[in-house]
Amino acid sequence: MKRYDLIIVGAGPSGLSAAVEAAKRGLKTVVFDENEKPGGQLFKQIHKFFGSKEHKAKIRGFVIGEQLLKEADEAGVEVVLNATVIGLYQDKEVVVRIGEAVHHYKGDAVIIATGASENMVTFEGWTLPGVIGAGAAQTMMNLHGVKPGNKVLMLGSGNVGLVVSFQLLQCGCEVVALVDAAPKVGGYGVHAAKVARTGVPFYLSHTIVKAEGEECVTGVTIAEVDSHFRFIPGTEKHFDVDTICLAVGLSPMSQLLKMAGCEMEDNPKRGGQVPVCDEYGRTSLAGVFVAGDVSGIEEASSAMIEGRMAGIAAAEYLGYMDKEEMDRNLADLDQALDGLRQGMFAPKNRGKDIETTDEGIPVSKNLLKHGFVADEEIERFPGVTHAKGIHPVMECTQNIPCNPCQDACPKHCIRIGSNITALPAVEEGSECVGCGMCVASCSGQAIFLVDETYEEGYASITIPYEFLPLPVVGEKGDALGRDGSRVCEAQIIGVKSIPAFDKTNLLTMKVPAEYAMRARFYKKG
Amino acid sequence: MNQINDRSRDIGAFVPAPDDDMIICRCEEITKGEIRKAVHDGMFTLTEIRRYLRTGMGLCQGQTCAKLVKGIVARELNISPAQLEPATSRVPMRPIEMHVLANEGKEDE
Amino acid sequence: MENRIAEHPILGVPEKGRKVTFTYNDRQVEGYEGEPIAAALKAAGLMVHRYTKKEHKPRGIFCAIGRCTDCVMVVDGKPNIRTCVTPLKEGMKVQTQYGVSGKPFEEQ
Repeated sequence: MKRYDLIIVGAGPSGLSAAVEAAKRGLKTVVFDENEKPGGQLFKQIHKFFGSKEHKAKIRGFVIGEQLLKEADEAGVEVVLNATVIGLYQDKEVVVRIGEAVHHYKGDAVIIATGASENMVTFEGWTLPGVIGAGAAQTMMNLHGVKPGNKVLMLGSGNVGLVVSFQLLQCGCEVVALVDAAPKVGGYGVHAAKVARTGVPFYLSHTIVKAEGEECVTGVTIAEVDSHFRFIPGTEKHFDVDTICLAVGLSPMSQLLKMAGCEMEDNPKRGGQVPVCDEYGRTSLAGVFVAGDVSGIEEASSAMIEGRMAGIAAAEYLGYMDKEEMDRNLADLDQALDGLRQGMFAPKNRGKDIETTDEGIPVSKNLLKHGFVADEEIERFPGVTHAKGIHPVMECTQNIPCNPCQDACPKHCIRIGSNITALPAVEEGSECVGCGMCVASCSGQAIFLVDETYEEGYASITIPYEFLPLPVVGEKGDALGRDGSRVCEAQIIGVKSIPAFDKTNLLTMKVPAEYAMRARFYKKG
Repeated sequence: MNQINDRSRDIGAFVPAPDDDMIICRCEEITKGEIRKAVHDGMFTLTEIRRYLRTGMGLCQGQTCAKLVKGIVARELNISPAQLEPATSRVPMRPIEMHVLANEGKEDE
Repeated sequence: MENRIAEHPILGVPEKGRKVTFTYNDRQVEGYEGEPIAAALKAAGLMVHRYTKKEHKPRGIFCAIGRCTDCVMVVDGKPNIRTCVTPLKEGMKVQTQYGVSGKPFEEQ
């Protein structure tokens, strides 16, 4: 039986990160992954990540994936692809299908980083072709360049549902509605807002009654539900669609750990069946570690840190470093992970009703119910101010761990402070030069440049724009409000696309001055 | 004795529901009604349900339906899904052809 | 190939292998070498991959990452091939799967 110091199952964000740390410290490390390509779900993530510099904030997921692969390669990690782990035994024997044979490997330590699988919900017609998981949609459009459908209904308003809806819009699909049985949007408000402002209607407290069609989906009926999730008769709404996309949560893929005999628990806060483990991924079996979604559903950013922690803990377990060195190595990672686990969406706040921000500002009820902050609510947030001349308007209204805007401004106009979940505020006395770096750096696409006195009677508004075709200077169209409905006519007066913006184009449109604080999207007339 | 496994516990009679013909296990085409009935036939654990109906025993090995089946059985028993022990995990975790499973790879590979 | 993304605002023009022809039942279909069979079918607007054994109901792509096995078809005579993770090759023979066979139920 071939022996390794460390066997890692899963070459996603956490598995690769663990491998890098272990290999750097001299452990003979192998990573098995059942897929044709490494990187797990990172290569389907095309949005800019949240967090801070240390979390690779404002870098797009697939670029982080490329960086991680390069790092793994440089560290000398052996990654075996098309290698399906079909079993794990208590003595850390790993059974792997490679090609047409089954191989057995012995790891002195094992890290399980198998990630998660998608949850599903049932409704009449849910087995019809055209009903797909959100992951399937991402795979088709972002890996294979194929549109998942033309008219799509999304079920699920968590970050996956919101992000995938936006991605569907980006590749040219029409999203007819975003539906969730819950009474409140589950994901980040900024993700919801960027979908809502394109005109996608949100139906909270609604769910799917049935998918229609004989051979494949041709339509869908949704209806409102009461507080016990029962349909309310007479509230049915029909949409013609060819695709229904399900984004109703993830469950840890922890079966290998259960098989090996790790102590397991059913923990709803972590997403289901997870191994009992400490903060560095040590399970009840000595030498068996876990990292990433398999130990509790979170974001890829935290999975990467957990992976590094498990890699370091495994190195210490095998005697490649002493405890003191391990503690030193883990200190920075502890802090980085802690930084991500703050704010309204922190794991500890799951299921809680949060009424006000850390700053004591009432959260936008409209954002939670309809996906956008209402015009009458927006001015109470510290990023939204009025000033003479061009200035940033930051429609960031929830405490989430993210601060690239603060670093992006060369004039230091934006202040978040050391607590990265604080809402951004405009630094008093600072002078905006209208460079647009903040607009492009905002992972939530929530920053706009507004000049309320651009011309006699007109204001200019600069918006982030990640769609094709790109409008051209001079063209006229509709300015849309935060809710996606038309507010006035708009003329494009600037289109800026520079490498530093990383594919977030900046459109500047001219609108009548009275709409300066309302117009937030552009649609060709 | 584990209270969940107490077969003398009265869980009431099977009451038909409008969505009983909903497919739950997509691979083996097992319906919600069949699963609910199985509980009333005395199958109180997920392992028993699996053996009795073949839910989660098809090509995908329960990837999609495991959580759904758990929810249905728990509701029928009037307990929380977390109280139900998941079905046994064993080799092979993924569908694999018998000729591959029987083909031991060479030591040097 | 109307379902292909010609140019993506973030990812640019999708990188693809060479164009190949394969058969879907009796039909000639074009796709790109190395992409999953399911992606080529989806691009051509073909939704139904199989009909189930018991209830003869249509199924297609569901998870697209090789987990759910709903997209299995008969490929080059072999049934139960997960088309979402099987790379397309020139001249492949892809057939709708009926139960576990390439033959329609009435001929089985």
